[in-house]
Formats: sequence, structure tokens, C-alpha cells
Amino acid sequence: MAELEKIKKEKQRKRYADAPVFTDKASYRPDDVNETGLCFVGHEISEDGKAMNQFLHYDQLYTIRHGWNSPFFKGLLDGKIMGTRCPICKDTWVPVRTHCWNLDCDLAKTEWVEMPLTAKVHTWTVAGWSGRSSLKRLPIVLVYAVIGESKVAIANELHQIEPWNVEFNMPLKVVFRPKKERKGIITDFHFEPAEGWEPGPMTEEKERIQNLIEPVYKWVSTLK
Amino acid sequence: MTRKVCIIGGATTPFDYGPTGFESIEGGAAECMKETQKDVPDFHLRDIDLMVYSHFSVHFGHQLCSEWIIHDHLGLVGLPHFRVENGGNTGGSALYAAALAVMSGHHDVVGVVGWETMDSVSQSQGSEFIALASDIRYELLVGGIYPIYYAAMANKWMKDNQVTEEDVATIGAKNRNNAMNNPKAQWYRNEHKYITVDDVMESRLISYPIKKYDCCLMTRGVAGVIVCSEEYAKKVNPDGYCTIDGIGLSSCTIRAGDRLNFPGWTERYGKGYPEMTEFAACRNSAEQAYKMADITDPLKEIDFGEIHDAFSTSEAQIYKALGLADEESIAQFLRDESTHMHGEIPMNPGGGLMGYGHPVGATGLMSTIECYYQLADLTRKKHLSKKTVVSDANCGIVNSHAGTGTSISNFILRRG
Ligand SMILES: [Zn+2]
Repeated sequence: MAELEKIKKEKQRKRYADAPVFTDKASYRPDDVNETGLCFVGHEISEDGKAMNQFLHYDQLYTIRHGWNSPFFKGLLDGKIMGTRCPICKDTWVPVRTHCWNLDCDLAKTEWVEMPLTAKVHTWTVAGWSGRSSLKRLPIVLVYAVIGESKVAIANELHQIEPWNVEFNMPLKVVFRPKKERKGIITDFHFEPAEGWEPGPMTEEKERIQNLIEPVYKWVSTLK
Repeated sequence: MTRKVCIIGGATTPFDYGPTGFESIEGGAAECMKETQKDVPDFHLRDIDLMVYSHFSVHFGHQLCSEWIIHDHLGLVGLPHFRVENGGNTGGSALYAAALAVMSGHHDVVGVVGWETMDSVSQSQGSEFIALASDIRYELLVGGIYPIYYAAMANKWMKDNQVTEEDVATIGAKNRNNAMNNPKAQWYRNEHKYITVDDVMESRLISYPIKKYDCCLMTRGVAGVIVCSEEYAKKVNPDGYCTIDGIGLSSCTIRAGDRLNFPGWTERYGKGYPEMTEFAACRNSAEQAYKMADITDPLKEIDFGEIHDAFSTSEAQIYKALGLADEESIAQFLRDESTHMHGEIPMNPGGGLMGYGHPVGATGLMSTIECYYQLADLTRKKHLSKKTVVSDANCGIVNSHAGTGTSISNFILRRG
């Protein structure tokens, strides 16, 4: 009886894998990023004395535990795009899914596959405004592109192109940052036009985009 | 057979941004209830037997469970309450929950209160907070803000449907100009000017083909609406209630790029749909609502709508998803100004998100309230003139929309 109990426990232990021990650590915290927690840092009162605003500062470090998705983000550090493939329906995806979402496959666990570093533009835009942390990089060409045989498109920036020259279906290559600059995050890579691709002739739409982004270049040059 | 669901009243605070945030959220909620009570003197807070709260992001208020503060403030301690959160479709989803509660027969009078305080951080930080509803591992760092994802989807949609920048710009102008007749609207209260298609075309680039005046506003605001049984509606507001005859709620992928090949959509709608361009969750939820309300020709049978114009491009995409036009007719549908006040099916007479404002948790409720006002003949009283009154309004559609089209609800409202 006790023996049976022991086997059962061992089976359970194997099912819930051992906790990982994290040894390979990297820190690239900018000097001005500090966790301060909750702190009231000031207030203001309206001229008529009727309304009051208070300023609360809150800064917190989060741990994003990638768990079963880790091979994708670890792959970025190694200059690889890792995708997943369903062993049953054979669909392949980047961004990855660790279980197949085709309901006929009953959430089959997928297998990891290394994707080619080639892609194709599905759709695109030229951003002249963005979140606070991206303003200085404007204008940004954002594409949704299909990497290799992936069934889905992934969003990322397209570099080495005049923003008005982007085309639907244009061929791309995946380009990684130098190894020491990589952080295991999506911006470790970007897209560039594939070798040999040449932009088409000037069009009315291209001129329109040129006119729209001219003030963006000017505005960005005034940012501190 | 489930019970009929009705709306007997509702109100919003003025929608605004910045230092004019003069009321607290609980104070705003109280004012919404007081205005409703003024419109419907026989309605009393004592009649409510469930409160559903509608609020999107804790990041804006930095207060977890802020609905508990509002609930106490309204004097409703003891009543059941819960909060619904579903991105930009939070308001629509809260209304859906309230409707289910009444349909089930378990509750008779449900208060729905929504709010957002987006002016508690800077505009660009606010955009980044909202973008935390994208998949932060893959999309936050490369797009940064929703307009960029929407622009990428719209760029291809417009080409596929031969729709031009000018065509969608008419929507940006229309909704803001409608808001000029609505004193609670943020556009009326702040920028306060009539604009033209040229103004939209010349406004600064946000993300091609979307410009500043193609985008909705960031807003502080509160909205409250009373959802109830037919019996209660007939008792307290026999001449001024509307019915919710159809409800629909559907979902699509969080990452827009994933919907290129979702097996379930292929099964339902065939290969190549929704692509990255169509709002499948809008089509699906509209089909549910139409079926329930016995609507077979939406363009003929629906008189007007209050829909989720986060961007002028997405309002155009929604027209198509609602079945008001198809690939062949959508460009002409826009050029005919079919959704202007003088058109076949006016959309957003209240100003929409671009004119009235978009305090996320309150937005779907604001749309519901504006739709209700038209059906209860209250618009003339609430707006500045009859310019934005839909004549002979008997059937309206309310649309609430989240993510990159990730959750969408539709409701068919009819005069009671
Ligand atoms: Zn599969």
C-alpha cells in the first residue's frame, strides 16, 4: 500500500515539472528607472479654492514569466525565430501557440520549429504618433508580415526603406540586432526589404504619405 | 420563452478631459441617477435589485474595485454588485450582462453604471495604458498604440474596398459636427467648432491612413442606464421606454495578425474571412441580434445607430460588418452620406466617440443612452436643437467594440 502511494506521488511529481533555477541573468536597467512604490508627490488647488488635484507616483517592477513560451523569447537572444507546429493538422504559427487552437485537434501540444528568416508584407502603416516610449523613433513603418509558412501575421517594424515606398506583398528578411544588444524581446529583430527588392515608381499615394510625414520629421527633431 | 428587456432611462455626466474634471466618479454616478430620476419621476433607486458596473482600466484611476466606492455612495449597500471588464466593449458587455439578468427572470431592475478617468495620466501615457490590452509580449513594443494597429488593418481594407481617405474623412467630420449640437459632448465643450473633410485630411498624421481627426478622444466621464422588465417599464415610464429586442456578443483574436487563418471563422464564413480587414465579431454579433429581433434587411429595418467610431476608418468597416453595404457598394454608401443626419440611416447623431468622447467603461452606455433618447423622444430635450433628432425613429442599433475588433456587441432597440 505504502509502495503504491510512493509510485503515485512520483508520477505526480513528474507531471508537475521541477521548478526552474534561474542562473543566467542579465540586467540592462536604465539609470533613471527605480522602483519607488506608492508615493504622493504633490498637489494643486484651483483659483476658486473649490477643486483639488493630487499627484500619485507609482513605479513597479513586473516579472513576465514566459513559461512554455520561453523558447520563442530565448530564440530571439540566439538570433532565431522559433515557431510552433501542430503535430496533427500541421499548422505553423509565429506568434506561437503551445497548444493547437483548431478544435478538432483537442488542444494538442505543439512542437517547436525554427522558422526561416524570410517574410512577406501582409499589410502596413506609417506611424506619425506613438506611445510615450516610442515618440523619438517616429516616423515608424509598421508591417504585419507572414514569416515563412506561418498561418498568421506578426507585427514588427520595417527598416531600411523610405516610409512611402512600402508595398503589399513585398518580400522581407528578418534582421537581428547585434548579439550583445539583444534582450529576448520582440524588438530584438525587425524587418528589412529582401535583397534585390526595388521600390516601384512614385505615385500619388506615395506623395501623399511624403507630405503627411514631413511635419513628423520636424516635430521629432524638436524633442529633447 | 425569455422575458422582454426594456430601458426606462439613463444619463451621462458631461464628457471632458483635463483640469475640468470637476466631479468625482461617485459624484458623477449620483448625478446620472438624479438626471434619470428627473426624466422618470416614478423611478426610484429603491426599485433596483442588481447593480452591474462597467469599468475598463485600473491603471487610470489607480483604485482597485472603484465600483465599491460608487456603490456605497449611491446608498445601495446590500444589493448584489459586480463589475464587467471587456476592453472597449466593456459598456456593451455590461449591458449584455444586465439584459441576461432581466431575461432570466432573476432580476427586475438593473442599474448599469460605467466610467473612466483617462485624464489622470498624459495623453501619450494613456495611449500606452490602453495598448496594454494588446498582447504585450508581441505587440506593445512594436506598435505602441491602437491607432497603429487599426491603421494597418484599415489601409488594406480601404484598398480592398476601393474606399479613399476622403471617404472615411466624411465620418470624422460628421460625428464632430453632430456633437456640436450636444452640450455634454467633449468636442462641443472643448474644441467647439464645425469641421470639414479638408480639416480631417489636413490634420496631423497619426498612422497612415489615419489622421488626428479620424481618431476618437480620451475622456473622463460617467454614464448610467436602467435596464428592467417590461412590467416595471410599463409601471414607471409607460410612454417613454424602449425595448431591447436583440442582443449579440462575439469575439475575435487579440492579435489582429492571428485572424488570418482561424479555423472556426473558416468553418463559419468560408476561407479568407475575416482576413485582417473585417470585423468578424461585429458581423457575428449583429447576426445574433438581427435574428433575435427578426431583422432580415438591416438597412431598411433599422432607422439609425450609435456605433463605436474609435476611428473613422473603423466606423466604415463596421457599416460593412453590420451588413449595411458590401464590397461592391461600401464606397458609394459613404459618398452618398448615407449615415449623415439627412441620410438613409444616420449613425452617431449623439456625436459618437469622436464627438461625444470615449471614457472606455462609460462609452457603450453613452451610445445606449443616446439611442434610447431618440426612441423615447428625449433627444430634442437633451440636444440643443432638432438638427440631431432622427425623425420617426422606431428602431436603433447600439454597437460596442473592443481591442482590434477582439470583442464586439450589438443591440437592437425599439420604441416601447
Ligand atoms: Zn492542429
